[in-house]
Formats: sequence, structure tokens, C-alpha cells
Amino acid sequence: MLITKFAIPDIIFGHGSIKYLAQCARRLGAQRILLVSDNGLESSGWVDQVRQILEDDRLDCVYFNDVSSNPRDHQVHKGAKLYLQEKLDVIVALGGGSPMDAAKGIATIAGNGGKISDYEGANRIMRPLPPMIFIPSTAGSGSDISQYCIITDVERQVKMSIISRSLVPNISITDPDLLLTKSRSLITASAIDAFAHAVESYLSPLASPFTESQALLAMRLFIKNILPAVRDRDQAALEELSTASAAAGMSFSNAGLGTLHALAHSLGGMYDVLHGMVHPVLLPAVMRYNLAANPKKLGDIGRIVIGPRVCADERAALAGIDRLEELFAEMDTPLRLRDLLPDRTPLEKICSMATRDACQLTNPRSAYCDDLMGICEEVW
Amino acid sequence: MEATPSPTLYDLIGIEHSKLGYFEELRQKIEELKGSNTESENRRREIGAILDGITDVMMVLDEDLKIISVNHVFHDLFGKGNPIGQYCYSYFRQSDEPCEECPAFRSLKENVVSKETAIFRIAGRNMQFEMVASPLKNPQWPKHRVLIFKRDVTMEKEYQAKYYQAEKMATIGVLATGVAHEVNNPLAAISGYAEGIQRRLATIETHVPESLAEDFRDYTETIIKECRRCRDIVRTLLHFGHPVSSQFCVVDVNNMVRETLKILHYHLKRKTGIIVDTQLYYGLPHIEGDEPQLKQVLLNLLTNAVDAMDAHKQKGVISVRTSPLGLDKVLIEVEDTGCGIPSANRDKLFDPFFTTKPVGKGIGIGLSTCYNIVKEHQGDISVDSEIGRGSRFIVTLPLKPERNHG
Repeated sequence: MLITKFAIPDIIFGHGSIKYLAQCARRLGAQRILLVSDNGLESSGWVDQVRQILEDDRLDCVYFNDVSSNPRDHQVHKGAKLYLQEKLDVIVALGGGSPMDAAKGIATIAGNGGKISDYEGANRIMRPLPPMIFIPSTAGSGSDISQYCIITDVERQVKMSIISRSLVPNISITDPDLLLTKSRSLITASAIDAFAHAVESYLSPLASPFTESQALLAMRLFIKNILPAVRDRDQAALEELSTASAAAGMSFSNAGLGTLHALAHSLGGMYDVLHGMVHPVLLPAVMRYNLAANPKKLGDIGRIVIGPRVCADERAALAGIDRLEELFAEMDTPLRLRDLLPDRTPLEKICSMATRDACQLTNPRSAYCDDLMGICEEVW
Repeated sequence: MEATPSPTLYDLIGIEHSKLGYFEELRQKIEELKGSNTESENRRREIGAILDGITDVMMVLDEDLKIISVNHVFHDLFGKGNPIGQYCYSYFRQSDEPCEECPAFRSLKENVVSKETAIFRIAGRNMQFEMVASPLKNPQWPKHRVLIFKRDVTMEKEYQAKYYQAEKMATIGVLATGVAHEVNNPLAAISGYAEGIQRRLATIETHVPESLAEDFRDYTETIIKECRRCRDIVRTLLHFGHPVSSQFCVVDVNNMVRETLKILHYHLKRKTGIIVDTQLYYGLPHIEGDEPQLKQVLLNLLTNAVDAMDAHKQKGVISVRTSPLGLDKVLIEVEDTGCGIPSANRDKLFDPFFTTKPVGKGIGIGLSTCYNIVKEHQGDISVDSEIGRGSRFIVTLPLKPERNHG
């Protein structure tokens, strides 16, 4: 049996839990904090609120918001320079996957020096990082839980995967109140991202009972809550989507992802598309491709999507995949690859780059460039 | 492009990789600090050993010349008391303000290493020091500092002076030898012709009045006598000026005194008020020694005695006495009735460079040379003096000095 490992940060979860931020920061030795966030969080008022919480506790705070969706290497370097120049100690990230991944990159450079591309790959971070406290505002990326950090290398047009246990933040504070101010499309994209994390990590050869139970939990919560959350902004549904995101994060951080994320990273490196919007297009096709490798687990997923049914795994799996496609269509997400790309020319490059992505390692069925091309053609 | 090795499944699990925490960092920091502390401690010891190896006096002063630190040579040389925090000039010179010649100021002002020599009186001895001041500037210090090295160059200076003196003597010796040779020939001619005149006098004696013949006899006799005296002086000069006769031979002290006085004869004759009283012990045993050098001692003592009279009343008595002392020593005394030596000067008398004579008249090497020569003969030189009454220099010399060297 494979020896596995399960590591997660301290997770503080619940309505109003954001008020513990200052206390948590102090416990990590904070005096001057780097707060990383973006414009979206500023306009929703959460950045001011977080600064107020820190100020009330007389903690100095330097604010950094030069973060785009799909954070870039130069943004990370700029943030690290600011961190060192201002002699800051603890890093707090507020937002979705982008500010959190940017914060991880900044912490990496602040603690280890060099360029962010020096740390591409697994376990290349050799010195400790500044303490990190992450407050996710989208229920999806799982970056507040995971050992992954995805940064775009602008020159090479590659989304680099940086994997290290040191990238697991010290504390994750999930306050579902933050979700209330999100746009509908953002709720959709991040929820689908979380679901994709759960699916891929559930199928991963590194999955263990500890990650599988989290993945199954995340999938069940997604199916139960996605429509009420997207359609009605139902508060209880949104909160359960937060739980789903955290659970999916625990699963994929330890079990890894698969071909879907390999393709999504490759595509995102060349075209600045919202990560969560790639999944509705590719997830069903990737699941069909993987069906042969593990019909039992895909059957499990199918039964979660369509409800308990007595039939062969394969049938349940396919029925589930069909239902997912319907579900995505109901949510007005892009469904064809042509909705995301200008033409077919970059496809080959995207696929060949995806074969080198670290996520590709944990796909249940090995996939070469041609296989990936087949998947892309299927959903063009 | 893709230089990084592709991760494996095991990399993703990362069993042996954990989140590096602050404790780990702290531990590493402590290890690093321990390492660098050991390293700097070793370096400090090494530098300390190098500094201890320096044989010069070393001190660090602030820009107001307050002593900040000194090395162990400082304590060895200046001994008691804690100099730290004292002003340099008050410690060394008991003065209220910095010494004029201090190189520290120039060094700080012009940011250069500067040198100076100065004499300090330490434990009753005058010592010459070569001082080197180097500026020490560090923006973190409230005041500039200056590093001072003091090297004891008393010996060097002594040897240098001796060397000059020896060279001078050698030159005079060569000159004297040359002159003596030159003088010898005309002297021989004069004396020869005077003898010729005496011989011829017998044949013309009967043709001239007796008184005239008597005058001629008298004059030629005087010429011959004086020529003989000249020849003796020349011989003494030749002997004295002989440059490298530092061999110990049997010396007739009385004879040596006589010859020295003969050299000074002319000099003394001009000082009409000075009477030389010579009391030479008959049957004084001979000693072993370096005659030219001993003559130089006598010459020095006699010249000093004459100068002491000059300073006084320009008249008086110089007594030169020889006598045996016990069974194995002889005594030479040179006494004058001159000005005497102030007691304050008495213990500096044999120090090099000490002089009471006006600039240009002496370099203060005389008595110290005498001292060294006498010491070399394992003898002793001392002085009795009373202001206004005169001084008495006493030289004792062993009959057979035991020479360890050579």
C-alpha cells in the first residue's frame, strides 16, 4: 500500500470568524503585516474592514493590491520587495485564488530570495516562509488549504505549479459572510473549481481514505447547494459551498489533481481566462476519458450527481457526466472550447505544455499530447 | 527551457518535506550565529595574538587625545597606573595641553599616516621614540580615533651618533696621518740643516765674534730641540689617529697621560690662567687596554675641564692624577676648579645627547662615549662635583680586563 500524507493548516470556519484575524496574526508574531488583496475586495469594502480589524489591534499594515487574476511573476517580485523593504513580518491574503497565490509567491521570495521561477516544481523551497494567514473570499480555489501555488511566467506564457508543504498557510480563516458580496459568475466559477478539485483528487492514485471522504463531502455539498446559491444567493447554500471548497482543498492538496487542471493551467498561461470557467467546458470530457481507468470511482461520482441508483458503475458514471453538462448549461457557463479561444491553432501547444504540468502526474489514466488533443477536439 | 526535473508522485506526497516553521528557522539561526560567533572569536584571538606580537607601544586615542586602549608593551614599559581615560599629554608630560610636535592632529586632519620622533623621560632615563600616528575613522564612532605606535629608538639613535663620531674620528685620523707625514719631511730637513749649521759653526767659530757664535749655537740648539718636540707630537698624532687599533695592548697609563697632555699642550698654553698640575704615581703598574680609546677618554675629560674653567673665571687648576687602587686597578682622576655640575644634571651626564654646551659647541656624545669605552675596559667612571668649586671625574680601570669577546 502507498504511504500517503495528510497535512492541512489550522482552519477557522464560521460566520464572523474574521474577527479572530488580529489575534491569529499576533500569535504568529505579527507587528507589521503585509495585506495582499485586489480591487474587487476593495470595492466590496472587505479590505477596509480587514485593515480596521488590524488597526483596532494596533497592528501596522502595508497594503499590496497589484494582483491580477492569474497572478504574474513580476507582481510577486514587486510584493516581495515591498515586504522586505518595509520590514514586514506576517502575510495576510484576502480574496480568491489570485491574491492567495500571489501571497504564497511573495512569501516564497521573501523567505528564500531569487526568482519565483526558481521554485517551479515540487519541494524546491528550502527555507521557511513568513507566517501566512489566508481569508478566502471565493468558495473554490482551495489555495488557503493547499500546498499548491500557481504563478504565470509572463515571458514563457506558462502557469508554473509550485508545490511545497511550506506553501500551506499557517491559518485559514473562512468567514461565509464574505461570499455574500460576490457576483453570480464568480460564485459559479469558484464552486465549479471546487467541484473539479474534488473530482480530480478523488480519482487520483494518491487518494487516501482521508482525502476521499473530503472529496465526497465536497461533491455532495456542491450538488446540493450549487443551484440555490447561484440562483437565489441562498445564504445557507453559500456557506455550505464554503465548506465544500475547504473540503475539496484538503483533498486535492494531499492527493493532487489531474488532466483537467493540467489543461486549465496550460490554457490559462496563454489566454487570460477565468480559471473556473475552463472546467465546465473540459470536465465532462476529461471524466469520460478517465472512465476506463476507474469506473468504480466515476460511478461513485455519478451516483452523487444523479442520486442513488442501482445500475452498473459505468452507466451511473455516464449518467452523472450527462447531468453535469446539463447543470453547467443551466448556469450559463461557457460549454465549448471555441467560446474561450480565438481559433484552433494554439490547441497543440496547449496540449503539449499540459503534458508537462505536475497535475498530469496524478491523473488516473496516462494521457499523451494526442489524447489531450482528442479531448479538446471533442469539446471544441 | 525546462531545466527543472519533473516532479514525481512521491514528490507530491512529500513525506520527508514538512512546512518549515519558525522553530526550525530559529534553530538554524542559532546554529548560524554560533558558527559565526566561533569564527569571529577565532579571528579576534588571531588578531589579538598578532597585536601581542607587536613589540612597539601601541595606543588608541580619541580625537581629544584621551587614551582609549593600550597594548601590553605599554604596561611593560610605563608600568604602574591605569592610563585609560587619561589625556596622553598629561600622562606622559604632566602637561595641560597637547604637545606641539604631536603627529596625531596632522594624521587626523589630513587623513594620512604621519611620523615624528620625540624624547620622553621614563624611569629617570631619556628615551627617544619614533611615533607613527594613523587615523582611525568609523562613522559609527562619536569621535574620530587615532592609532599611535611608539617605537623605542634610543639605541638606534645612540648607535647612529656613535657611528657619526667614529666616522669623524676616522676621518680626522686619516687627515692627521697625512698631515703628520707631510710635516715629518720638512721637519727632517729643518733639523738636518740645523745640525749642518752646528757642524759648520766649528769651522767659522774663530772668524766671528764669540757672542755671535754663541747666538748661532743657541738658536740651532733651539731649532733642533723644537724639531724633536714637533717629531714627538707628530708621532703621537700618528699613533692616535691610527684608525682600527682596537686591540688591547699593554698600556703605560702615565705615559698615556703625558702624551695626551702633549696633544693638548698648545690648546692649554693659550689659556694663560689655567695651570695643569700633573701628579703621576711613580711605578704605576701597566694595564691592558686600547690606548687610543683611553686617550680619547682623557682628552674628553680634559677638554670638559677646560670648558668648565672657561665658563667660570677662565683660570684655575686642572689636576691630573694617577694612582694604583688595590692590587688590580688603577685610578685616573681629572679634577678642575671650574663651575661644577648642578645636581639635577649629574645623573644625566653619561646619557647620550645630553649636553649643557650651547648649540654648535657639542652634540652631547662625549661623556657617553667615555662611559662606553670605560665600560668596555670593565672599568668605571664617576663624578664628584660641587657648584662653583669644581668637578672631579674618577676613572678606575682594571689591570687585566677579562674580555669575553673576540
